[in-house]
Amino acid sequence: MPADRISVRPAASAGPAASGTSAPAAVDLLRPAARGITVTAATPPAGSRAALPRPVLVLGIALVLAASVAASVRIGAADVGYADVGRAFGVRLGLDVTPLPPLADSLVWDLRLPRVLMAALVGAALAVCGAVLQAVTRNALADPYLLGVSSGASTGAVAVVVLGVGAGALGVTGGALIGALVAFGLLLALLRRSGPDSVRIALTGVVVGQLFTALTSLTLMASADADTTRAVTHWLLGSMAPARWESVAVCAVVTPLGLTVAWLCSNALDAFAFGADTASSLGIGVRGTRTLLLVVTAVLTSVAVATVGAIGFVGLIVPHGVRFLTGPRHRVLLPCSALVGAVFLVWTDALARSVLAPRELPAGVITALVGVPLFLLVLRRRGAL
Amino acid sequence: MRHPARLGIAALALALASAGCSTATGGSSPSDTSADGTAAKATTVSSCGRELSFAKAPRRAVTLDQTSTETLLELGLQNRMAGTANLKTKIPERYRDAYAKVPVLSPKILTGEQLRAANPDFVVAAEAGLYTKDRAGTREELGALKVPAYVSAVDCPRRNGSGRTPFDLLFSDYEKLGQVFGAEDRAAKLVREQRAAVADAAGTAARVKDRPTVVWLYSALNGTPYVAGRTGMPSEMSRIVGAKNAFDDIGENWPEVSWEKIAERNPDFIVIGDLSERGRPGDSASEKRALMEKDPVMSKLAAVRENRIVEIPGIEMDPSVRTVHALRLLADGMKDLGHAR
Repeated sequence: MPADRISVRPAASAGPAASGTSAPAAVDLLRPAARGITVTAATPPAGSRAALPRPVLVLGIALVLAASVAASVRIGAADVGYADVGRAFGVRLGLDVTPLPPLADSLVWDLRLPRVLMAALVGAALAVCGAVLQAVTRNALADPYLLGVSSGASTGAVAVVVLGVGAGALGVTGGALIGALVAFGLLLALLRRSGPDSVRIALTGVVVGQLFTALTSLTLMASADADTTRAVTHWLLGSMAPARWESVAVCAVVTPLGLTVAWLCSNALDAFAFGADTASSLGIGVRGTRTLLLVVTAVLTSVAVATVGAIGFVGLIVPHGVRFLTGPRHRVLLPCSALVGAVFLVWTDALARSVLAPRELPAGVITALVGVPLFLLVLRRRGAL
Repeated sequence: MRHPARLGIAALALALASAGCSTATGGSSPSDTSADGTAAKATTVSSCGRELSFAKAPRRAVTLDQTSTETLLELGLQNRMAGTANLKTKIPERYRDAYAKVPVLSPKILTGEQLRAANPDFVVAAEAGLYTKDRAGTREELGALKVPAYVSAVDCPRRNGSGRTPFDLLFSDYEKLGQVFGAEDRAAKLVREQRAAVADAAGTAARVKDRPTVVWLYSALNGTPYVAGRTGMPSEMSRIVGAKNAFDDIGENWPEVSWEKIAERNPDFIVIGDLSERGRPGDSASEKRALMEKDPVMSKLAAVRENRIVEIPGIEMDPSVRTVHALRLLADGMKDLGHAR
């Protein structure tokens, strides 16, 4: 069984094996597969430092997230102090504070706060979707866009922006959401006969994605001028700028629900690592669970993509990075991924709006630019590189 | 390609306008608001489906693109502007001094945060597409903040006045903006001048022999030609001077076509856009000429062989306060080529 796991995620398993002594005890505790290999090195610290249990780890990252949100609220086009944030809140709570000038208030309340919260929600959603899909498809390269929903979203958005289909009623977000769900519907229809086998999910998702990418390009080439193309391209790279309270509210409802469902499937996700046969011999309804998880990830990803575009990299790399910290058990991996993904996107978005100021960069550009060195650092520290 | 005479006039007009402006705003010295606010008259204009109300003339206008920046500068309103953004190419000589007085909020597309941080009381854009949530924010959002958001009539797809030419729409912009800023006289003068320039060019049409066809080659970025379609300003300019845009069958502003398609249309002459200020490969007029002379199909066209080519600054081909200049170059070019007497 450990051998099977290593073949699934070589990078994840190589870490603790190579650096068992330096790793926090929790890592080996959480990784029965690895413990078998480095049992002598890992056991003594595990006994003495069992004080860093999972809740502490989760709580620690949650505190980092809260600090990140608080710090990044100040970063952006205009200097926003905590006093300003306090006044914006105070006025809405009916406290006796001097309100900010209307435009400054709008900057803080209508733009900055929803934007930071949106980054946290989307980061959490994408990271968890990535972790779930990596387990479901048993593919280390799986990311939330594997199911083709982002391509479907872009087709929907382009249809609205370029062709003006339902532009008034739907808007870009509505178009993108419908496009994403149509793409996912097609994926489910294609998987209906064969069932959600891990390889088939990946292949079908790629095919669906390619189809919708081609449709997007076709629409753009056939009827868009340079300005429209540029606007759509910018949207596809992902940006938190369009976040508003309404979209935050949608994400704030959908994301926790989705994350909870995924978390409740933790045991099944662990079992999937050993293959469908083993999982079902462990009493897991493979087909039903996989379909449920596909629906959950597709809905989470669709909502995220529809609002802020297809932000890459978070969903692919954050789960891998977190796996080094927590081990492969999803009960811990999922909440930690959610928190780390949130922290990561909050900071990349803060960079996106400040690093080349007054220009704003698409967040999708920054995620990779910042994420690659961070990930390499993690790999290196774990001795895997 | 600069016109010293016109430049002089413009500079003079600008100086006059700014002088007029500073008297109009009267107490623009520190002790202002109440006196000024009551003195200025309230006004309402419609802009692309929204009614914009002003209790007094704006004093902190922000422009979201170069076209609207130049329009306001042409109207001599630089002292009423809180910022500009989104520069596509160089600001022409005659606006440069006025432009230098206005802060550049962003060289690129302005974001909602930057716009709000500039504390504007009026926002002007030539393109409706700049008012989206990921850019400046929607016009509804800005309206709710009591910041009227103006969109040029040229880029208002829902414009109902059918049969209005792009020039008519441009002129309606000048008049409305003049009304908003209390600069009606300056706006009326600008409309008069530009209307005269259009009429002048239209005079060419009467002297044109058998309606020549023209291809407008805007850009040849990466070797792919972008030409003028039916909906853009060049199609209208062709009509005015008595020529026919060869790609009027494509209902877009600047469709991407192929050299073969251009050759197939076999135009009587070609207008090439000089984008040397943009400075990307293939942008200058001479590079475009070289491209056409080198192309196996294009080089056989009579228009290319006989050098029947008119050069016009590419930026002037889109509707803006500078477009009448392109119209004159086009009319002159047609005379030089012998299409008009």
